[in-house]
Amino acid sequence: MDREILYLLLAPTLTGILIFIFGKKSFLSAEGPALLGSAITFGLSGWIFYYTTRGRILSFFHEEFRVDALGGLMVGLVGFLGFIVVIYSIPYMRKEVAEGVIPSNKIHSYYAWLMLFLASMLWATTTNDIYLLWVIIEATTLASIILVSFNWSREALEAGYKYAMLLTVGITFALFGCVLLYAGSSPHIASGLSPLKITEIAKVAGKIPQSIALLAVILMLAGFGTKAGIVPFHTWLPDAHAEAPTPVSALLSGIMIKVGLYAVIRTVLIFYSFHSIISILVLILGVMTMIVGIVMMFLQDDTKRFLAFCSVVSMGYIFMGLGLGNYLGIYGAIFHLINHSLMKALAFLSLGGIIYSTRYRKMSDLGGLGKLMPVTAFTFYIAALALSGVPLFNGFVSEFTIFLAGMKAGHLWATIIAIVVSILTLAAFIQATARIFMGTLPENLIKIKIREVPIAMWGGEILLAVLCILIGIYPQVIYPVLHEATKAVFAMMPMP
Amino acid sequence: MEPLAKLISALSLSLIITAYLIIEIKNLRYATYVNILQALLMCSLIVIFAGQNPGLYSWALTVFITKVIIIPFLLLRTIRRTGALEVPPVIGYFGSIIFITLIVVILYRVTHRYVDFIAPTPLATQEPFRTNLAVSLALFIMGLYCILVRRDAIKTVLGLIILQNGVHLSLVSLVPLLEETGIIGIVTDVVIAVYLLLYIIQGVYQKFGSTDTFNLKGLRW
Repeated sequence: MDREILYLLLAPTLTGILIFIFGKKSFLSAEGPALLGSAITFGLSGWIFYYTTRGRILSFFHEEFRVDALGGLMVGLVGFLGFIVVIYSIPYMRKEVAEGVIPSNKIHSYYAWLMLFLASMLWATTTNDIYLLWVIIEATTLASIILVSFNWSREALEAGYKYAMLLTVGITFALFGCVLLYAGSSPHIASGLSPLKITEIAKVAGKIPQSIALLAVILMLAGFGTKAGIVPFHTWLPDAHAEAPTPVSALLSGIMIKVGLYAVIRTVLIFYSFHSIISILVLILGVMTMIVGIVMMFLQDDTKRFLAFCSVVSMGYIFMGLGLGNYLGIYGAIFHLINHSLMKALAFLSLGGIIYSTRYRKMSDLGGLGKLMPVTAFTFYIAALALSGVPLFNGFVSEFTIFLAGMKAGHLWATIIAIVVSILTLAAFIQATARIFMGTLPENLIKIKIREVPIAMWGGEILLAVLCILIGIYPQVIYPVLHEATKAVFAMMPMP
Repeated sequence: MEPLAKLISALSLSLIITAYLIIEIKNLRYATYVNILQALLMCSLIVIFAGQNPGLYSWALTVFITKVIIIPFLLLRTIRRTGALEVPPVIGYFGSIIFITLIVVILYRVTHRYVDFIAPTPLATQEPFRTNLAVSLALFIMGLYCILVRRDAIKTVLGLIILQNGVHLSLVSLVPLLEETGIIGIVTDVVIAVYLLLYIIQGVYQKFGSTDTFNLKGLRW
């Protein structure tokens, strides 16, 4: 009985509900509880992260909730980024209200939905029930619909409608997959054990008839893959990432798409040792995702859509790592998952600083901001270097691990494509950073008084930037964590 | 054919006809009324199955509360604000008939010839579960079809509800022993999804002046 899990889920949920009820009075009555609630969540998730990544498995309520090293890693990321984003939101959303983008009476619903969104993601990564996994992953979508359309502009509403519709329909495929998985495994599970538990299903994965196993895997790849932004189910991703308020974009890109990925790891990977075609399928999906993502990156003028497609590319890397199926591949995939969370959150938050100060977000409207906003420029440079896989930054280490794993697994074609994509990402980022920060100020910006963002915003950015550099220069700090998480993935994979 | 099997076939057929009507009726309010009828048919179908498996009675109740009462209430409330006339669709009723007949025939053949491929348990390969599986898959695809070809945003929500009805019905054959909490979780998700979608659609109506999804073309690349 590890009650910490219960507290972890209750803290953000209750905060969200309280803000809904009592947060209307002033800004502070919404921001204060959100800050406190996310701080408590951060503390608890840090505690769980610490213990689970040292090999302990937490469980609660007859193993209905179960957190192993991988789950603990996800919980830690949600708690950490959630806390940073809440602090960041305070000046950012106040400015949005001051600019008249958002009516002041709606601000409490922003924080309330944000807390519920965090709660749903924490729940998704701690549950051990195949149905609840589906239900909660749908809940993460539901909790973020209002956040995506929060600006209530024409574009935001369009993005919200597409987001809600596509993800709800997409995730329904995963429900069919989960149903098949449960029904296929239940005859083989000894009486007295619950056939709904993922851990029990994993043990009998080899006994599920091949046709049903493959059908379930395809349905779940389509369903959870929609959530993870895998091509061809990625079309919601750039719209939602671009139109949501920037702190929310950081959460969507930093962790929400990883929750879909987490579901894939939990449900699809258990069949790896029985049907080798599944890993090839995942690999092909990953490579396809990479290629489409990088092509689209070059076509973007909107900086947020640019970063959104960069997320698509990164999900491609992670899927490729998973598809390789060997220890190093999954190790690299989890490594890239962590790194991408940190660097993409950093990129979006830095970009949020630019939008905060200039109110523009198209590359053609921006330029020459490097001198006026040195801190934001610095953090964006770090994020760009890390995302494009330059040595001495964290993105390089994990991408390199995936490349090595690709060579080792004998998939030279995939490795070459991935390396080319990585080089092209660097080119795309050089182009983008040059257009945003270098050159002269365009006319539309000369009229505005541009200032550096407040410390509540750049503080979190600097922290993330330091982490990106630290993991890049001294990746050994995170090796034990990764080793435990990869071990947890393999522990769920039964061997024939 | 024994009378029970006949009844099940009749109900299944009426489910498909109601789905067709929901897709094709131009007046959204009437389409919602047909949607209520479909939910009632689903309830009675689940009640018949409950004769073999008493655990299903509570499912029927859950379906009744959410799909007969709450979801139509939400829909009618939105339709009152946005107007009941549907934006003309991409494919008219004639094309729909051809497509839907084709789908139903194909699915019926598939579920009867290759049932082992999709049915996870031996029970599901027997009648009446086999027919039930065919009908639920047909509803699922009809829902997808509705979402893809109808321009009106509220009609796409109706399509989503048809699709979810199909999923729900398939659970009767696939996992008849699922606990009630699982069903409540799934149904709650559907209700909240419909609520939030309609909320967003009302916003779309405010900003664009209509519920035509063809207006939603600002975000392309």
